[in-house]
Amino acid sequence: MNHNDTVYRLAAHDAIESRFARSVVACLTESAERVSPDVSERLRFAREKALESVRARRGVDVVQTTGRSASGTAVLGFSRSPWWLRFASVLPLFALVGGLVLIQDWQARSQISVAAEVDEALLGDDLPINAYRDPGFSEFLKAPPSE
Amino acid sequence: MATDKELSDFLKSVEKRAWKRAVYAVRDDDAALDIVQDTMIRLSEKYADRPAAELPLLFQRILSNATMDWFRRQKVKNQVVRNFSEFETAGSDGDFDILETLEALGGPLQSESAAESVSRAQILQMIDSEVAKLPARQREAFLLRYWEELDVAETAASMGCSEGSVKTHCSRAVHALAKALKAKGIST
Repeated sequence: MNHNDTVYRLAAHDAIESRFARSVVACLTESAERVSPDVSERLRFAREKALESVRARRGVDVVQTTGRSASGTAVLGFSRSPWWLRFASVLPLFALVGGLVLIQDWQARSQISVAAEVDEALLGDDLPINAYRDPGFSEFLKAPPSE
Repeated sequence: MATDKELSDFLKSVEKRAWKRAVYAVRDDDAALDIVQDTMIRLSEKYADRPAAELPLLFQRILSNATMDWFRRQKVKNQVVRNFSEFETAGSDGDFDILETLEALGGPLQSESAAESVSRAQILQMIDSEVAKLPARQREAFLLRYWEELDVAETAASMGCSEGSVKTHCSRAVHALAKALKAKGIST
């Protein structure tokens, strides 16, 4: 038996096996299609349950994606967002803190200015004559200046 | 990424075969249903984002793992290992002559004259039974290779063995089935 014969016999052997196997699995397929309605229904239920989990997960992904694109603040804590997006989302917070500091400073300056105007008006105005009749004011005039 | 429809169609196309394969392995219809459901959920939760073309092989691997998990839960792992090792000791029975008798015949499986009165359903039941009797590894290789239509490399990857082992398992399974069916008067 030469090499060609051996190759031919092996190929023929494989072909026979394959043909037989496919005949058997055709019967198995036919058998599988004859499963009871109860089994079919339970398989359908299992399939639907699996698909529901996928839809739920994909729904969550869509919400996360939408939040990232629609609102910068909504992406805080979203671990997979790019660094510039996370930085941009923090900018409004910095602006808010800076604005509060400026407002507080402006209010303090405004109060000091008002107090200075009152003092200036008091000191620059003529002293009422009744002030000299006040014992406290007399004591104030007698007391040596503190500085 | 597989769409919902692709995933649904795939699961629908494979669910009954998967259930039958699980039944062959665990010999329990309800447990087989649980295994298939577990397999579907695992595939959907972990691999739904993979391309549709990858789903068949992933599904087969998950199904095999889910089946093994079931055996582990049942604390009969040793029995499984023993069943799985049967193919190692089962020698080739050299029944190529049986296959040679098949060569001259074609078409779908049909009953011989002695079994002509047997209904189609009974024939299918007998074939089903003979497939169930195959050693686990032979049956797994045979079903993955010919029923799930995986190629040799994919079958080997799914079973975690070499391609040579897959060919050996398949060949032995075919010989065993041919011999058993011939003995029952069924031929191709």
